[in-house]
Formats: sequence, structure tokens, C-alpha cells
Amino acid sequence: MKLVRMNMNMNMNMKTWTGIISLILAFLIPLIFGINQYLLTVLIIMLVFIIYSSAWNLLALSGQASLGHAAFFGIGGYVSAIVANTLGMPPIAAIPVGGLFAAFIGVLIGLTCIRMREWFLAMVTFGFAIIAHTITTELSWLTGGWDGIPAKRLIPVTITNYIMYEYYVILLIAVAVVVIIYLIAKSRVGLALQAIRENELEAKVMGINVIKYKLMAFAVSAFFTGIAGALEIHHFGYITPEVYGMDISFWPILYSISGGLFTVSGPILGTIVITFIWEVLRAFGLMYERFILIGVILVLIVIFLPKGLVSVPEKIKSRLQL
Amino acid sequence: MEPGVLIQILVWGLYAGCIYILLAIGLNLIFGVMKVVNFAHGELLMLGAYATFWIYTLSGVNPYLIIALAMIILGIIGVFIERLCFRPIKGTGKLNEIFLSLGLIYLFQNLAALLWTTDSRSIHSPYSNVSVSVGSVRLPLDYIIIILFTIVFLIAFQLFMKRTTIGRAMRATSQNRDAAALMGINVERMDMLSFALGSALAAAAGSLWLISGQIVDPYMGSIPAIKAFAVVIIGGLGSIPGAIVAGLTLGIAENVVPLFMQSFAGLLGVSMSFTAWKDTIAFFILIIVLVIRPTGIFGEKGE
Repeated sequence: MKLVRMNMNMNMNMKTWTGIISLILAFLIPLIFGINQYLLTVLIIMLVFIIYSSAWNLLALSGQASLGHAAFFGIGGYVSAIVANTLGMPPIAAIPVGGLFAAFIGVLIGLTCIRMREWFLAMVTFGFAIIAHTITTELSWLTGGWDGIPAKRLIPVTITNYIMYEYYVILLIAVAVVVIIYLIAKSRVGLALQAIRENELEAKVMGINVIKYKLMAFAVSAFFTGIAGALEIHHFGYITPEVYGMDISFWPILYSISGGLFTVSGPILGTIVITFIWEVLRAFGLMYERFILIGVILVLIVIFLPKGLVSVPEKIKSRLQL
Repeated sequence: MEPGVLIQILVWGLYAGCIYILLAIGLNLIFGVMKVVNFAHGELLMLGAYATFWIYTLSGVNPYLIIALAMIILGIIGVFIERLCFRPIKGTGKLNEIFLSLGLIYLFQNLAALLWTTDSRSIHSPYSNVSVSVGSVRLPLDYIIIILFTIVFLIAFQLFMKRTTIGRAMRATSQNRDAAALMGINVERMDMLSFALGSALAAAAGSLWLISGQIVDPYMGSIPAIKAFAVVIIGGLGSIPGAIVAGLTLGIAENVVPLFMQSFAGLLGVSMSFTAWKDTIAFFILIIVLVIRPTGIFGEKGE
């Protein structure tokens, strides 16, 4: 633990500066490139997935790797869309409602998973995504069934340059979420979650309330995942049961692993890098090849770079010292 | 409910159960020997189905004869997966296995989509119009052949594991890896063989699925695979009889429960269809079992 702390302090300066510079860049992008609809759409989705991956990674921090986070993504989206449509609320007010409902479901799912270890947890969470999908399509009077329902845009399309405002709103939310997750990960709660991941029994012996912290991780992770889902559908303007798709569950895992599991910067870096690769491949007109390549990247990273891209500088450093 | 309908549903359940059993036994074998869970097992089923589809469309031979070839092809793919993917990460933790499997799922699904497009494919078995009358019900001959095929596979598998040297070596490895290695068993070769055999069984399941007239597409694998996991957990990790009982139970429950729920709702005066819930029944059983016994019914071995 101490060693990790020291390492963190050493990298602290460099990391903070990288963070600040990329943040300034993120704010300047619309000014540098102009109001480019394609670019801003890509960036908006990227920001949504930064929120989503960071939330997934927070749950993984407690040793619980969910394969069914699309359940929370979709629930947040549907609840927010329905609330905004029926109560006439503006999306920005409905989004937290979606997040809260997802957190509520997260606690329920967390309760069933509380005693399960890796494989079983993975299967059961995967199952919950499918159950959520079935419930949604069956409640067609509320959810529109397979066709889905329209969702209000976050910023009305009638406003000129709405996409730019949308980008800034989502950027601010993403920054806030990342800061909150950073604070949680660095607090006693974060340490408790890591202790549980390393050895649940020892953590219990040390007086950590394992059940409380595990449920807390589930609730917070589901909350931010719900927010991400709601943001995405209010950006697209509609929601269909496709939000429960298997790939929606897998993306945050891919992003977190390629960036660096259990770190705050990992999911952010992973989302940015993979999104970039993804868009470049799209520019080449590749379709299934993109997914094949993503699969290969995931396999290679798990085998050769298990700590993700954030560990690359350290690896190079230790190579140079040798 | 009419008895004829019930028999028909039971046979459907048996047939579905056979597919799950073949998948579950492969998973069980791999888990037993390597203590690894391959979440991409369903993709092996899908590839097996496509292998049969492909060879059948090219050659037009009786598809039942192609199953053996599909099993060999997938066995070879299984060897590659073990050597190139699972062996390098052995001992680095269960999460890594899960993540690696996700990569393989992406890889195989989209490779299949690239090679055969995402269109749903199906073939007609030469017996697709033949059915057997049992009392008042007519059962498709293909279903009966598939149930018989599964029985033959299971007997052959059991004989292989119990009577041959390799089978014994595999069982020894799964009981105690270190002791087996000390006795001169090449445990890494056993890993490879178990993966090959597990993949071949998945290919058999996929081929039978295709031949029975079901449609095949690149994304078909995940649902049967996750059900096979449920079967493995319910039946007990490493237990073959357990897998058979659990597989048949799940296959039948999936077909019977929605119908019972429908007639129950009918009694209450509500007309509702529960067929959409078919795929979720396995998860409800899985969740109930795991909430009561978080390590699975016979889980001690697994942990």
C-alpha cells in the first residue's frame, strides 16, 4: 500500500498537469474546430462513455466486475425519458431521477450479488441485463415495446448551435462525475473497496463493513451509469430496447481495461484512445473488422498489458533504467 | 392442458435440454481440468453451427454426417484458444479470464459476421418432413434423432473418461493438478485436450441446433452459453450426472413454465403470453440458486 502511495505522489504532478491541459483542450475544441456536428457528436458520446466507464470501474474497484451494466444504462435512460415525457420536466431535471432509479435497482441487484464471487457475479449481472430487456419490451404501454419512445433533446434543436451547448453541458457533468469518483476512490470508502477486492475475509477482520461498502459501490456505480444512459438518450432523442444490448454492457469493460483497471484515469484514457481508433476505422469504411480488431486489442491487452495504457509510461521508465 | 400438448412440450424440453447438456459438459470438463471459465463457449457453439452449415451448403452431404467434421474443426480452434489466449494468463486471476473471454466473443461474433454476413441461416435436414406418431402426438423425427445422438455422445464421453488412459489422466488432473503432474502426467497437454474436447462438444451442440431447423446467426451463442453456465452451477461444478439432470430440468422448465403461467393468468381472467420470458427462466433459477448457495450447489470444489 505504501509503495503504491509513493508511486502516486511521484506521478501526481505529471498526471495533474495532463489532466488540466486536456480539460482546457476539451473546452477549446468547439472554438478551434468550429461547430462541427460530426466531431461534437463523437465527443458527446465519448464523454457519456467516460462517465459510464468510470462508474463501471468504481464497481470493479470493489472486485465486482459486472457484465450487465447495460441494465442500469437502459433503466436510467427509460426512466428519465418517461419522466420527462409524462411530467413535462426538462431533461436536465429528469436525468437525476433516472440515475436515482437505476441506483435503487442497483442496490436490489447488489443485494442478490453480495455473496457471489467473480464468475457467478458475472453471469448473474449478465442475466439481469436480459431480464431488464424482457421487462422493458413486455411493458409496451409504458416503454413503447420494441419500437421504443421518443425522448426530449437535452438542448432543444431549435436553438442555434444547440450541439455546442449540449457538448458543454455534458462536458461539465462528465468533469463533475470524474471528480466525484476520484474523491470516492481516494477516500476511506475507496480504500475499503480495494481492501475488499484484495481479500474480503481480511477486510472483514479489519472491521470493514463489507456488505455496506459493496452495496454502496453498486448504488453509486448504478447511479452514474443511469445518468450516462439518460444523457445518451436525451442526446439521440429516442430510446429503444437496444440500450440493453450486450455490447453496451461490454464497452465500459473494454474502455476500463485498455485504459487501466482500478484507476481513475484509466477509463478516461481508454475511452478516448479506443474512440479515436474506432472513428479512424470507421473512416476507412470497416464494419465487422472494427469489432474484430477491438476483440483482438482486448485479448492482447489482457495478456500483455494487464494494467492498461496508464502503465505504459512506468513500463518505459523501468525499461530505460535497465 | 391436453396431455398431447404436454408430451409435445416435454419432448421440446428434452431436445433443448440436450443442447444445454452438451455445452455444459464441455464447460464442466474445461473447468475441471484447467479451473478456467470460458465465457466465449457459446461462440464455439455458433462457429460449430456455421461449420456444419458451410460444409453442408458446399457438399450437400447428409448433415448428420458433417457433425464429426465440425467437431474436429472446432477441436483444433479450441487448441489454439487454449495455447494462445488462456495459457498466457493462467494464474493471473479470474477477472482476467472473464475479460479475455469478452475479447474472444467480439472476435468470433464479428469474424462470423464478416465471413457469413449477419443474415439468419438455416438448413433443411433430410428428415425435416418426417414425424413419428406417439399416441395422438406427432413428434419430428429430427428431435428424436438429436436426443439419441446426445445419449450416444454422453455414453462415448463417459467411456472415454473412465476407460482410456487419456481420460483417466484428465480426471486425475482435475482432481489434483500437482499430484497428477508428479505422477508424470503432462498437465499442460491435458489442458489442451480438455479445451479441444469441450470445443468439439460445443460444435456438436451447435450442429444439432442447426440441423433441427433452428436459425443460426453470429450472435446466437451467448444465450445458450449462459444457460449452460446455469446448468453447470445448478448441477454442480464438475458433476456430469448433475449437468444431465439440470440440463433436462431447465429445458423442460423453459417450455412448461410459460405455458403454466399463461393458464394461471387465464384462470385469473387475464389473457397474457409469457413466451417472451422463456430465456429469462434460466436466470431466475440461477439467481435463486446462487442467493441460497453463493458458490453453487456443489461449489466447494470451485472456490
